Amino acid sequence: MKRFFFFVILISTALQARAQWNGNTDLAIHGYGRGSVYGGSKAYDLASVFAEFSLQASARKGPAVLVSDIRFSTGMFYNEKDTRFLIRELYAGYKSRKFDVFLGNQIVNWGRTDGFNPTNNINPNDYFFLSSDPADQQLSNFMLKMQYRPLPGIDLELVAIPFYKMSDYRFDLFDMGELGNYLLFGDDMLPERILANGTYAVRANFDFPEFGASVSWFQGYDPYHGFNVVSVNWTSAQPVVRIASTPYRKTAIGADLAIPVGNLMIVRAEAAYNHTKNPDKKMFIPNPDISYVVGIETNVLGCIVIGQYIGKYTFDFFPLSVPVSPNANDPASLVQYAEKYIDYENRLFNRKVFNQQERTNHAVSLTLTRSFAYDVLSFECTGYYNITSKEWFVRPKLSWRISDALMAAVGGNYMRGGEKTLYGYSSAIMNGAFAELKVIF
Amino acid sequence: MKLLLKSLFTGLLLLSGTPGLFGQSAAEISSKSREVVDLGTMQMDFTIYIRDSRGSERVRQLTMISRIFNDVNKTLVRFTAPSDVQGTTLLIFDNKDTEDDMWIYMPALKKVRRIISSERGKSFMGTEFTNADMSKPNQADFNYSLLGTADHEGKACWKVQSEGKDQTINKANGFSRTISYIDKANYLCYKVEYYDLSGNLQRILTSHDYKNVTANKYFSYRTVMENVQNKRVSEMVINKIDTGTKFQEDIFSPNALQQ
Repeated sequence: MKRFFFFVILISTALQARAQWNGNTDLAIHGYGRGSVYGGSKAYDLASVFAEFSLQASARKGPAVLVSDIRFSTGMFYNEKDTRFLIRELYAGYKSRKFDVFLGNQIVNWGRTDGFNPTNNINPNDYFFLSSDPADQQLSNFMLKMQYRPLPGIDLELVAIPFYKMSDYRFDLFDMGELGNYLLFGDDMLPERILANGTYAVRANFDFPEFGASVSWFQGYDPYHGFNVVSVNWTSAQPVVRIASTPYRKTAIGADLAIPVGNLMIVRAEAAYNHTKNPDKKMFIPNPDISYVVGIETNVLGCIVIGQYIGKYTFDFFPLSVPVSPNANDPASLVQYAEKYIDYENRLFNRKVFNQQERTNHAVSLTLTRSFAYDVLSFECTGYYNITSKEWFVRPKLSWRISDALMAAVGGNYMRGGEKTLYGYSSAIMNGAFAELKVIF
Repeated sequence: MKLLLKSLFTGLLLLSGTPGLFGQSAAEISSKSREVVDLGTMQMDFTIYIRDSRGSERVRQLTMISRIFNDVNKTLVRFTAPSDVQGTTLLIFDNKDTEDDMWIYMPALKKVRRIISSERGKSFMGTEFTNADMSKPNQADFNYSLLGTADHEGKACWKVQSEGKDQTINKANGFSRTISYIDKANYLCYKVEYYDLSGNLQRILTSHDYKNVTANKYFSYRTVMENVQNKRVSEMVINKIDTGTKFQEDIFSPNALQQ
């Protein structure tokens, strides 16, 4: 209730501010209200049902800039009633022709490929927030962001994040079969809040008519964390294993490229080398790898077609072997076996999270986008197939701009994978259809 | 796609090697017609009203900044309304002899994206204007002829026809030919008829409220495109024009699009 009152006060203040604002300042206040329904999975008739109000404001006076996107939502999420007050973005700063500096909660997206960006390590995602727009899953983080533009087409960007924020996987919702009987998810293991645990990233970006490219460097905790065994309870005949989301530090060196080929197509590529330490000693740390994406975008009969190859090469890869069952009459070796088996299962699980199930992983994606009836209707469909793990998904979406103020969207998400695959687990929760009505102001 | 709003007002008036009735060729007439509305550097705020046959109306508001650097006309188009597209920004480098370069910044994606500059015949922002209409046509792509003279609202005009040299050009632009009505007295273009690929009249552009912006330079403050086939009408109203500001080149840079 406190959140609600706070939100009402915030809106009143914003509207009052708009009424009294000095004419020399650019002040824009807008936003939306929406109702969203997402359901039809095996586990949930309605996985996500919510109403949301968003207030987006920006103010600019000379070089001073303030930006905010504040959201208030209430509904049922995975059969749990929840009311959320989210400061999606709120930052202030200085902006001039050559130089910007912003401080606050921000979202930064790096990378030139579509949907799969090896160089994009800055912000976490809430992968289990289900709505019509995948961008809703992006979470901001408190950061200092500076950008310097020495020449047209060239910019240098620096990001510093003092406190780590991890992505939300909600694997606790999975029906993991027999494994779930002795697996519990514990509290997240966050790094100590000291500056030495901060995240720092820089990028040099180039945009010219002939090509666009960037090189980037990232040092910090990866928002895409792993899982660690934090305790094993041996008091019962069946050991109970508690695992927890555990982040790891990495250094990533990345690059991307976009080259137009006449009026025919745009070729895009992106790659990052991810360096980690002690992956053999810590199960929640992935091996060093290089991730790469190559794609083309073209127009076919008025339809924008984006096809991509997504690959990964894992260094120092070794296959995991199932521990050998010991002599049942030797209690010491039985315990040792159980420990090894727990380690094996959790490493296996982490490899699925990190997409490091084989030395080389291959996947492809295809996105089709087309608008109809003078942009009143637009259709988009993305398909993805992981050649290595045999997992796939397809996500169609139809948007209808009923009027300038009213929009509707319907679509679905269908994913499939084999037994004990991430998509296999996720499909029982996330498969389904969605519908959304949104009024913008 | 060569998004150059100023050229919209000249229509596709273009050239001909054939001398006209008064000793001028279509090329000369169209050239003068284009010159008289060429403001060079400018900033323009405008609103587009889109009305369908049932009377419902949609509104788009935009700001456009344009300036020529080294023979490349660089244009920045920023959407200011409706609010769901507010902040979306297009940057277009209108190259003379090569394909245009285009980038888009969409606030929801939070990054600048290079896009393909094709589909000249596609609707511009859901209006009856096409991307080709908003462009400087490539003069070499068309054959031009003077059809004679006609009266347009009491003004004596030349009728200039342009036809694509082949079907590929016609398909790319979304029309087979145009007929433009150009004032004999001041070279202002008042009307352009667009014929579809089957040769039927499809759209009529009319330019109203010409105002003298600077010395010998005029601009139409209200332009209406009517689709006679589907009865949709799009009206572009200029709210403000500023020709005095000399914009620096760095604002026409992809990395300056993000607000």
